[in-house]
Amino acid sequence: MTPPLVSPPGAEPSRFRPFRRVVAVLAMLAASAGSTSAQYGLTPGFPHNIEGLTVIGKGSASAAPDLAEIDLDVSASAELTSDAIVKFRDAKKRVVEAFEGLKLPNVSIVERGLLVDQKGAVANPYYIDYNATQKAKTEVQLSRKLVVKMSGLREMDEDAALQLVGRLLDVAQDAGARVGPPAPNPYYNVVYYRQGGGMDLVRFVLEDFDQLQEQAYEKAVADARERAERLARLSGVKLGPIVAVREISAASSNRLIMGGMEPPDAEEEAPDRRLESSKLRKIPVRVELQVRFEIHPTAQGGDQAKAPAQ
Amino acid sequence: MISARIAIAVALLAPALALGQGVEDGESKISNDDPGRPLQMSPASTEVKEALDDFERFQRRGAWERALKALYTIPDDQALRFVDGRDGFIIPVARKRREVLAELPPEGRAAYRLFYDAEARKLLDEAEGDDEQAKLERIHSAYFTTSVGDDAADRLGDLYFERGRFDRAADCWLSVLRDHPDTNLSPATLATKAALALHRAGRMSEFDELRAELEDRYRSETVTLGGRSAPPAELLASLLGDESPGAGSRADLIKDEAPLKLDSSIEPDWMVPIADSIEAGMTAAELNQWRSSPLSDATPSSSIDGSRLHVNFLGHILAIDLETGKLLWRSAAFHNLETLVNQPGARMTNPEQFTILAREEFLWCATRDLKDQNYNASFQLECRRTEDGEIVWKSSDLPELAPFEPTGAPLWNDGTLFVAAESQQNQPLPGQWVLAIRPRDGKLIWKTQVGSFRQSRQRFYYGQRQPTPRPRLLLDAGSLYIDTQIGVLARLDADSGTLEWGFGYQTAPTQGEIHFFSPYQQTQPATTGGGPISLGDSLLVKGAQSSRLYVVDPNRMTLEWERAIGKSARPLGADERSIYLGGDDLGSLDIQTRNLSWATRLPGGSGLGSVLVRPDGIRQMTPRGVFEIDPETGDVRTILRGADLGSAAGGDVLLTAERLITVSNRAIAAYPRGGDAPPTPKEKTPR
Repeated sequence: MTPPLVSPPGAEPSRFRPFRRVVAVLAMLAASAGSTSAQYGLTPGFPHNIEGLTVIGKGSASAAPDLAEIDLDVSASAELTSDAIVKFRDAKKRVVEAFEGLKLPNVSIVERGLLVDQKGAVANPYYIDYNATQKAKTEVQLSRKLVVKMSGLREMDEDAALQLVGRLLDVAQDAGARVGPPAPNPYYNVVYYRQGGGMDLVRFVLEDFDQLQEQAYEKAVADARERAERLARLSGVKLGPIVAVREISAASSNRLIMGGMEPPDAEEEAPDRRLESSKLRKIPVRVELQVRFEIHPTAQGGDQAKAPAQ
Repeated sequence: MISARIAIAVALLAPALALGQGVEDGESKISNDDPGRPLQMSPASTEVKEALDDFERFQRRGAWERALKALYTIPDDQALRFVDGRDGFIIPVARKRREVLAELPPEGRAAYRLFYDAEARKLLDEAEGDDEQAKLERIHSAYFTTSVGDDAADRLGDLYFERGRFDRAADCWLSVLRDHPDTNLSPATLATKAALALHRAGRMSEFDELRAELEDRYRSETVTLGGRSAPPAELLASLLGDESPGAGSRADLIKDEAPLKLDSSIEPDWMVPIADSIEAGMTAAELNQWRSSPLSDATPSSSIDGSRLHVNFLGHILAIDLETGKLLWRSAAFHNLETLVNQPGARMTNPEQFTILAREEFLWCATRDLKDQNYNASFQLECRRTEDGEIVWKSSDLPELAPFEPTGAPLWNDGTLFVAAESQQNQPLPGQWVLAIRPRDGKLIWKTQVGSFRQSRQRFYYGQRQPTPRPRLLLDAGSLYIDTQIGVLARLDADSGTLEWGFGYQTAPTQGEIHFFSPYQQTQPATTGGGPISLGDSLLVKGAQSSRLYVVDPNRMTLEWERAIGKSARPLGADERSIYLGGDDLGSLDIQTRNLSWATRLPGGSGLGSVLVRPDGIRQMTPRGVFEIDPETGDVRTILRGADLGSAAGGDVLLTAERLITVSNRAIAAYPRGGDAPPTPKEKTPR
């Protein structure tokens, strides 16, 4: 039966009646969601049991980097793929031979994956040029990232390390390799960056820092205990054993990629057990812990707390 | 019923399929009439093309009178215009007419002679005195297939030979041998004369071919030349004696076989700072302003003549003593350049257009005043005395030269200055011209239009500056070649300026005129193009916007081979085995296999600056010093760091008897070349 198009005065059109039920159900759901949110919204991320004494302890230990890394890019492009292969082969050979010619036992080269793509005009997202892509003739491009690793850095003084790093940079550039991160795209630079400027030529690395980390944890716990004891003393309570510990920050890779512009590549990703710095300096391992201690009343009870010493 | 429908459908679709195939085949063919090509040589009218089509049609039917009449309806002014020829060559209508007449079958030839012999004979009879050459040329051009065409060509060959135009003489005699099979002249005599002329013109591959023919085909005949009679090969040998092959008058083919030894530790004999002079006393803001301008990266144009180096840096002309490095004179100081280069007019200026050439007591430079804020202010040609820099003449003051803007490096030969130029006035689109100028007073000897641009000049106000291709000139055996770098190599007669032919090669299509922002492209070194380069009797051509490399025989007018190559590649030089290419990398291409033998990437690439290519090594200036490369392997032998590191994109390397000169935006430095010096100062072709 077709509902009448004209309803009596004061009556809702019958075709709107089912929507009233839907609106009522939605309102109930919304109210319910609001009350749930209210329950948790007051203490987000905090334990509900707030008994005891909670402090934050900080500790750090540092050590000089033991490794320097230089990223090189070897690439070649040509109209004919066979030409690109010859160019790429020669380019890589000359870079590798140049470093081999140094005859330095503590210098090695690690190759990353081979990228096969095309060279040519790229559409400019900020400039409308409808013909740019059609006009550009693409060329096959082969490229590979090489990482030059120089170990034993810790045993050198700063001057010797600098001399060696400088020599490696010179050799790489003379061999025709592009040193450092890829040339920046001026448009993408607006929205994408790497922490630390992203244009560093050399990366100083601290690997295998377990012992250093251990020291930092010890210092953090000690710092927490010291803070807690001070608070306990001032509060007139007796400090009990630690009942909970939470890591606020701990030593890890210091690289950061923002904005999700560059999907992480498993091969390119820095290993977990290393710390990197763009500066030749001691690399700190910092640990921050949230520690909760049990507390017990002293003989004077809470009176001391209520009436601190004058 | 179904099969009938299929048959009808196939019958209807067949022409479309055939048409589609034809279009696809035609896409690879270079045509002067293709509207997407940036430069068009003066095209023949539609009527001319229709006349040639009519000739073909009537010829197939054997209607000789109508066929020949169609050919001779072409007016004389159209005979000098251009149509597509074979192998990408673009030829004058007169040449096309001669080619189709030379291919006539015997009955067509007989008909042709019936109609045109009388006219040709009349011209031949009139060919006396002052009109002799003109009348003979007319017969050779328009009536070569007549029964007196061979006689006229022979006489014309003699005339050219007497006047020292061996290349033209050889062409006349060869045309009889190749295209006049029923000649009553002695082929052995013609071949001997042609071989002699080819030898003197330096066209050695053709000479070797003809000499082999003389030794084989005509060995039993006797030829009389110069009062001597002998078998042709023997006579040729006796006439040539110890005469060495003519090298034509190729301006860039200066051999310097003396050794050049670069040592990484050598110190400069002297240095003239450029960047430091400009930047001295600048505040941080001024320095930033100066360095942010692309003009601060410009490599000065330079030219060596005798004991002096002349430099044109953004219109500032300097003369430097090569022995001491002392600045002899300069046209202006570098003060306030940082302000000038950031003015709107200067931002539109292409620094590569500043060129210089010095010879004898004069120098000629293409320059413009940076103070002129007109976006469209043109460059002008200036002649100065090398002694003191005094201006002798300016093209803007001369009515004949004022309408032209010099666009490429000038070329000097035997008292004539050749300049590639663009026309400025009275035309909707500019034209590519070649001017021959009397160097002392700027008098125009001849001017020839090579073609018309299909687009105006591109300008980039912001964004990446793309180098505009600059035409390049090459003089060889009386012929002047201009590679426009945008799709046409053309040959002109150096004496008269007659445009003989063009060779159309693949190039990037036309683009917009003005780019307020340039489209973003992946960062890559810019390249300026190069060539044409002589490969024996052949020419190597690679346009700045082309992704193909061509080797053409300019005398036989054939395309020998072509090959795909990166757009950024540019020819730097060649020897018997290899072609050396710049661009993103420095590379060597094996001439026999046409494979890339090696490639070496140098700091900053090899796209800009002049590179010294010699059998004992290739030397290129880079921002990290002068690199010496082994031509066999591409290995870097030595790096001369020098005293002028950090140049924007390397620079030019020049060689004198005593020194290696590097010219960059940072400085001009002279280093001892080591080894034994050659007897006379030498120089590479100016940029």
